[in-house]
Amino acid sequence: MHIHGPGNNLHVRSVANVPASPKERDAVKLRTLRQAAGMLALAALLAACGGGGDGANGPGVVAPEMPASRGAAARFLTQATFGPTDAEVERVLAIGYGAWIDEQFNKPTSQHRLTWEAADAAAKAADPTNANAGAGQNGSINAFWRAAVSGEDQLRQRVAFALSQIMVISMLDGTVGDNPRAVSAYVDLLADKGLGTYRDLLEGVALHPMMGVYLSHLRNQKADPRTGRVPDENFAREVMQLFSIGLHELNADGSAKLNAGARIDTYGSADIGGLARVFTGWSWDCPGAPASGCFYSGSLNGASDPDRQFKPMIGYASFHSSEGKFFLGRTIAAQTTADPRASLQVALDTLAGHPNIGPFIGKQLIQRLTSSNPSAAYVSAVAGAFADNGRGLRGDLKHVVKTILMHPEARAMTSSSGKLREPVLRLSAFLRAQGFRSDSGEFRVGNTDNPGTALGQTPMRSPSVFNFYRPGYIAPGTQATAEGLVVPEMQLVHETTAAGYVNFMRDNVGSGVGAFNSASNRREMQGEFTAELALADRPTDLVALANRKLMYGSMPAALTSEIEGAVASIAIPAATGTNQAAIDGAKRSRVNTALLLTLVSPEFQIQK
Amino acid sequence: MTHPINPDSSRRLFLRQAGAMATLGAAGPMALNLAAVGAASAQTATDYKALVCIFLFGGNDSYNMVLPTDAASWSAYSAVRNQAPESIALLAPGAAVKTAAAVGSPARLGGVLPITPLNAQGRSFALHPSLTTLQAMFNTDRRLAVVPNVGPLVVPTTKAQYALATHPKPASLFSHNDQQNTWQAFQPEGATVGWGGRLGDLIAAGNQRAIFTAVSASGNAVWLSGQSVRQYQVGGNGAIRMGADTNGRLYGSTAVAAAMERIVRNGRGGHVFEGDLGAVSQRSIDAELALRTALKPASDSLFGTAPASGAYNASNDPKLRYTPDPLAPAETAFNSLAQQLQVVARMIEASSNAGIGARRQVFFVSMGGFDSHDAQNRNQADLMARLGHAMRYFDITLGVIGARNQVIAFTASDFGRTFTSNGDGTDHGWGSHHLVMGGAVRGGDFYGSFPALALKNTNNNNFDGSPNQLGNGSLLPEVAVDQYGATLGKWFGASDTQLLDVFPNLANFSNRNLGFTL
Repeated sequence: MHIHGPGNNLHVRSVANVPASPKERDAVKLRTLRQAAGMLALAALLAACGGGGDGANGPGVVAPEMPASRGAAARFLTQATFGPTDAEVERVLAIGYGAWIDEQFNKPTSQHRLTWEAADAAAKAADPTNANAGAGQNGSINAFWRAAVSGEDQLRQRVAFALSQIMVISMLDGTVGDNPRAVSAYVDLLADKGLGTYRDLLEGVALHPMMGVYLSHLRNQKADPRTGRVPDENFAREVMQLFSIGLHELNADGSAKLNAGARIDTYGSADIGGLARVFTGWSWDCPGAPASGCFYSGSLNGASDPDRQFKPMIGYASFHSSEGKFFLGRTIAAQTTADPRASLQVALDTLAGHPNIGPFIGKQLIQRLTSSNPSAAYVSAVAGAFADNGRGLRGDLKHVVKTILMHPEARAMTSSSGKLREPVLRLSAFLRAQGFRSDSGEFRVGNTDNPGTALGQTPMRSPSVFNFYRPGYIAPGTQATAEGLVVPEMQLVHETTAAGYVNFMRDNVGSGVGAFNSASNRREMQGEFTAELALADRPTDLVALANRKLMYGSMPAALTSEIEGAVASIAIPAATGTNQAAIDGAKRSRVNTALLLTLVSPEFQIQK
Repeated sequence: MTHPINPDSSRRLFLRQAGAMATLGAAGPMALNLAAVGAASAQTATDYKALVCIFLFGGNDSYNMVLPTDAASWSAYSAVRNQAPESIALLAPGAAVKTAAAVGSPARLGGVLPITPLNAQGRSFALHPSLTTLQAMFNTDRRLAVVPNVGPLVVPTTKAQYALATHPKPASLFSHNDQQNTWQAFQPEGATVGWGGRLGDLIAAGNQRAIFTAVSASGNAVWLSGQSVRQYQVGGNGAIRMGADTNGRLYGSTAVAAAMERIVRNGRGGHVFEGDLGAVSQRSIDAELALRTALKPASDSLFGTAPASGAYNASNDPKLRYTPDPLAPAETAFNSLAQQLQVVARMIEASSNAGIGARRQVFFVSMGGFDSHDAQNRNQADLMARLGHAMRYFDITLGVIGARNQVIAFTASDFGRTFTSNGDGTDHGWGSHHLVMGGAVRGGDFYGSFPALALKNTNNNNFDGSPNQLGNGSLLPEVAVDQYGATLGKWFGASDTQLLDVFPNLANFSNRNLGFTL
């Protein structure tokens, strides 16, 4: 197995003999803060004894606190942010991983909905006679990019982006797409509750009206035994399959429990039918509630709540099933007066208490942040952190995220560690590394759906509730598959997106990013290339700078020399006193070449 | 469920081939060997054949696509599906169009469209009102067949057997991603080998370049992946040149373009994923180079409409635009499924090009949006209009390029849906009806017995009145996907032994050819 890269080249496939109890875990953390060097030695020792097998690892495994190198800090930031910047690298080097994470948790939260509203107001002010003027869907997408590129709360936003790919709503749905302000509010919800408790997050998601629209439990009615109408089962099914427990019973390490060699279903049709009854009688918040007009349309006699598209849905007793509700071994007794809120509490408590959640959601968060193929020990550690944050609290997502980022496996670089960067994160890394700013302040990247001319991926525009890719995606005919590895993001990779990405980045590097700004007569997002241009006549230094900024120093020598050669092939004309424009053009072409060839390399595209 | 061979078929075959000859004589852009239709062994094939899978993502409500209109069926259908607040019960044949009704509503659509199968099984049938083009292809052209109640099965299964925990059943029924995979590859999510790709494995030797054996005009689809065959993804406008401009320059430099190509083709960092990524880029570059000259442009009158001025834009091509609302015929919209089938037609037309040299190809196209839990009326009316328009466009285009008898297009979907209504939509089911189209299809008929539709019981949800319906009225499939696929595979040229290899459950079914191909 190849081990490569900067800093701590730890191959930690299996770690053993680590403290298991919360108290011991905390002790290790304290020790780690004081004795980073000692921990490094321990990790190296563990690596030396590693080599397959699960080991009986507790949830207390933590990596060294201090980065071993500038590259190690930058690599960590590739996992924890939308891309390292020099400033954040310095911060991590100064205070260490854990302190940086804690600091991030306390940063003020970027506000997507307010950003959308400001863009909407600006668009209307700029075009007062146009009734259709407004921020629209692009306003919501741009609010994402503004937070991703310039937000201080990088970790919170990165986690929200991860959660947006687990608890999916999509503006490809016509009705969701018509409510971009509420979609931005949904991202705010993920950013806010995504670092709270899972139970609270689940309730926020279940009652968000955009989720209600997307998975059709908004306005879902109880059965009508007289006519044969049945409740809509959509949300009941997908909240179990995708947002909480998954299809099969899991061990704490993420592996499937088996019964006579077969996986065990977590639920069947009867459980879905029972849970579907819980998700009847939910609709818009409305001043005239509980009148049925409010239930159906969100307004009564012309009165509606202007924020109903993002205020939590409310229960309408007359539309809620009062029948007994049976699911996952729980029973909600028949209600004399239908009580949607009471039914919901039991249902969400049942789901959030299910032993599958830690490994099921925890493993997916690992996959979104650090690694497509976490070891059983890594999943176990995260599931343990989910079960108990060390102070008796279950589902503390801050603790889960910190455990994911601090696990030794997140530091290890091997021939199969890490993940394929998804297209959105490739672009965000470039924008942050090169200090991109927006002329409008709105970061108008806009829709990047097109696989042949853009990224083939736009935030909040997944093709379905099953996300852009599946966590268990196996790419047919690949070496990864031969080695038993899943590569979720590979589901977006094919001959068209491969070419589309190169061409999109060619233009982004060459001309800037986003919509054309007629006032400034250029694409409205432009990067900072002064340092690069100063090195244009020194290909080795120029490529080294690209390596540091975009690849945390991990560029292999063979790639380095290939890019250096391409850069050097562009001649910079000798100065004649009248050819400065030609000289500047050649230098810029050299810089463009160094950056683009780095960005399109498979080495960059894999976040190791 | 054996389908009686229709005594009329040989006459129809003759007429169809004569018609195709005439078409070829008129247009004649392509030298296909029509006389060899049907019989050649794939490995030594000198003719050309293609299968085109039209995947309807989300689970098509085929209860509203193909409808039994005999009195008993119709009364059960109308009663079960007419629920508040929005009835999803389509109206009987001949029902008047109400122009004031909401777009997509049954009243605005008017009655379902009668079709006349050669063997009507003692019943009568109709299509969704948006499928006018397919009604004509079924009734008049006889190039469209219906295969009722298809779904994943391990073994033939009765309703009583379904209730037994010990009876073998496909895993993770009713789940979107798992049933998409099961339809395409006979395993839930995580499958890596699909039956389109496996058919490709068996015949790739006859193709000059393996890369063009299995082609997707949609995204990655496991149906196209074989044990050795890998899918090639072609863009809607054809292959996309990577990096360089038409002069082969990147940032004005051929050297930079060449370096880019070397860099993307391989990883140098020793990571497993780098090589896999590089392999895709390599295929992208190599295929584009071949297709750059082989593919005729989309604006060629064979496939599209050249613009009066400026560059071709598919979304403005009238051939690729459909009419979402028949009552507003002037308002058309771009049909992305038609564009996918356009590039498939271009690939088929180019198959005999020296740089392509394909004799057997499998293609994958798709539409999304079929998961009609709510607002089903509006959504499905639109989806059916797009499906009907795209299939008709493809049929016409194949006629123009003289390839009608060499290509079979067929539908597939996650699952059918519940018979019951949840107030304005339907939930996840299992079996569903499917469409097969082509000059080599014994069209105008049903292949398999059409299920009995019952009323919902008042005291339970088990649809005791029908042996074919389960909870919520979901269909228990009668035809396995294996049988459906094997019938197509047989036409494609696979031997009986090969079919048993490709279709893992086929051995459990006695009828291995449903008979809908010539």
